[in-house]
Amino acid sequence: MLFNSITFVFFYIIVTSLYFVFPYRFRWVILLGASCYFYMAFVPVYILILGFTIVIDYLAGIYIEEAKGLRLRKLLLLASLVANIGVLAIFKYFNFLNYNIDILSGKFNFHNPIPYLTILLPIGLSFHTFQAMSYTIEVYRGNQKAERHFGIYSLYVMFYPQLVAGPIERPQNILPQMHAKHPFNYNLMKAGLKLMLWGFFKKLVIADRLSIFVGSVYNNPELHNGSTIVIASIFFSIQIYCDFSGYTDIAIGCAKTMGFDLMKNFERPYFATNIQDFWRRWHISLSTWFRDYLYIPLGGSRGTKGRQYLNLFIVFLISGIWHGANYTYIIWGILHGLYSVAYLIIKPHLRNKSRGKNAAALVRAGNIILTYTIVTFAWIFFRANTVADAFTLIHNLKSFGARPFIGDGISNFAHSLLAILILFVVEYKMEYLPQKFNFYTSPNIVLRWGTIAFTVILILILGVFNGGQFIYFQF
Amino acid sequence: MKNKPVVKFLLRLFCFFVVLTVLDGVVGYMLRKIYFSQRVGQYSQTTYAIDSARQDIMIFGSSRAVRHYSPAIISKISGLSCYDSGRDGLMIPYSTAMEEIALTRHTPRLIILDITPRELGIDETKYVRLSILLPYCAQHKQFVKYIQEISPLEPYKLLSRTYPFNSSVFILATNALFSKSIKKDTNGYLPLEGHMTKTEMDDYNARMQKRYLKIKVRKEVAEDKAVGYFKTFLNNTVSHNIKTIVVISPTILKDPFYLDNQTVEKKLIIQIAAQYPNVTFLDYSADPRFNYHPEKFMDVFHLNKIGSEEFSYGIAHYIKDTLLKK
Repeated sequence: MLFNSITFVFFYIIVTSLYFVFPYRFRWVILLGASCYFYMAFVPVYILILGFTIVIDYLAGIYIEEAKGLRLRKLLLLASLVANIGVLAIFKYFNFLNYNIDILSGKFNFHNPIPYLTILLPIGLSFHTFQAMSYTIEVYRGNQKAERHFGIYSLYVMFYPQLVAGPIERPQNILPQMHAKHPFNYNLMKAGLKLMLWGFFKKLVIADRLSIFVGSVYNNPELHNGSTIVIASIFFSIQIYCDFSGYTDIAIGCAKTMGFDLMKNFERPYFATNIQDFWRRWHISLSTWFRDYLYIPLGGSRGTKGRQYLNLFIVFLISGIWHGANYTYIIWGILHGLYSVAYLIIKPHLRNKSRGKNAAALVRAGNIILTYTIVTFAWIFFRANTVADAFTLIHNLKSFGARPFIGDGISNFAHSLLAILILFVVEYKMEYLPQKFNFYTSPNIVLRWGTIAFTVILILILGVFNGGQFIYFQF
Repeated sequence: MKNKPVVKFLLRLFCFFVVLTVLDGVVGYMLRKIYFSQRVGQYSQTTYAIDSARQDIMIFGSSRAVRHYSPAIISKISGLSCYDSGRDGLMIPYSTAMEEIALTRHTPRLIILDITPRELGIDETKYVRLSILLPYCAQHKQFVKYIQEISPLEPYKLLSRTYPFNSSVFILATNALFSKSIKKDTNGYLPLEGHMTKTEMDDYNARMQKRYLKIKVRKEVAEDKAVGYFKTFLNNTVSHNIKTIVVISPTILKDPFYLDNQTVEKKLIIQIAAQYPNVTFLDYSADPRFNYHPEKFMDVFHLNKIGSEEFSYGIAHYIKDTLLKK
């Protein structure tokens, strides 16, 4: 079930209504049932995979907490991690590994007898697997008490707003909320619905609009010249941001209406002034997951500089692999690893003296543009269907300056530009003028309602209602 | 009083929906007025094609139909009136919808369907773009089954007065604001000014050759539903006893479809057209008068004014010398 579908709208209304109609003690049942239904709308049988990891991690959590010796605790944690990563490996990476074995064995004239699996990737697998892993790790670290209520634990993994594309929550934040009573809160309901509306706007008006042009270019890389590829790449950078952050806004808003507070996942990433800043603003729940559960255990910034660079590079490499079993994602991860290491190397040499106001603004703008450019360059690999396609696109950049292709007619292109302009104005306001022009929360009801109604009308007029699923669902 | 916030919320939500419904109605009404008062551009051309066109020769197809056929030239040579109902970015389901509505009004003497093989291939956009018919659904219920190809829920979305004009504001605004500088179509024909350069053509050729190396092993599959629409289009011409020409109009590269994995679809077009005695198939994709002549093309897909006029003369003479004499 897609958030951007009429079915979801009905689903949301029914579930939220039932949630508030039923007494507190039954609400977890409502949410768990709804989450199962939501997940099973994709491939019903895959609920069994989810069930398997839920049972393993639920038991692992309890046994880890009860285990006396460190060795046993470690063993139980390892068992839980192996089960989770095993599921991920089989469903997400098996065919990719087998494909590589195929190529390698072909080089040595050896026939690879391992057959390929003909299975679909369970939706959002990487997200709920990481969320489940963070639970057992936190129980092992003693930061979280093991959850004894199987239903509540299942809901922690399956909570439908964030089940398939995050934010990847930590047990310390979400589990206590699953136990808490959430009476109907008018202000939370209002704030949640407004956030959902803005999420829908980002998805339908911006992301899906831009995807039309991006798709036509990236699916036919040989046919397009440098100018077209530059435009398509800029469009894609905005498409993926609006697609993913739009999803996140809907997820957070949806949870908020029921009284849950999910973590922030985006903080206007394209206003980042360096690559480190970008990763503090982009997919925050994943970045912090990698920081807490991979970078720091690897040694983090302790040890030699070389070791720190290696740790950072490993994190981004794994992040690339996490996104998908394709060399395009791996190269994307490597690029970000290189960017981050390069930034760490040059950071001590950057001039940090105070400048005049105008000069500082100019430098800031330059840094934003530079960061945006290298991030967008890496997106080429992320979006290209194959590595060969990515290199074709990069090769064709040489004809930058030629007349660009703008698609079938000017209309879609113009709507794309209008959508980007609206996004820029809103994000600029949020970044630099957070206290001004807050029409959505204005005390003046005419202004407030007018803005909300105008947003709905804009979605009706400018939205693309037959766009595809959210990009991050596939991860 | 426990439920006070709920009641307050529901009451406000209801009031908001009333405001929204009123606003939707007002904006929708304004957009409808603007849309149907267009005098230039493709919206006015489509409105005329749907509501008024009664010419002897009717042309259907995509942007290649709109840009390649000059009804004035065809009328001059053949002595028959002619209208071009093609539309940018639209494909065979749209042609079939337009043909169906045209045939409810009158029976033309000749129908020309401009088609490219990719129209029979797997490509969802050909259905998504049927949204162009949304503003007409209130008056022409025949279109409802076509818009259901976009989504089965599409008829319900029409409850909104604004939604039918989704994605059309930019064109409406430019047509309204700059109507004097926008060239009016001549019986549906909208020629393209300008031309390609040899460098652009060579660059395109090189990229297509590279693409061919990549995709030549890919299995080609025609889409049954699209093939069904093509057959429906031809069946309608049979049931009304109308002479019909199915045309693949000129391309800049010689028979480029093999470069783009569209040979299966092309063979299907030829095969299906051959099953209808009233249908003649004409293929200009390997015509040396156009292949590798960048001066006759505006871009890699479309003839420019010079090319389209030359092509229209050719088609017109064929109609006069061959079809009308039969």
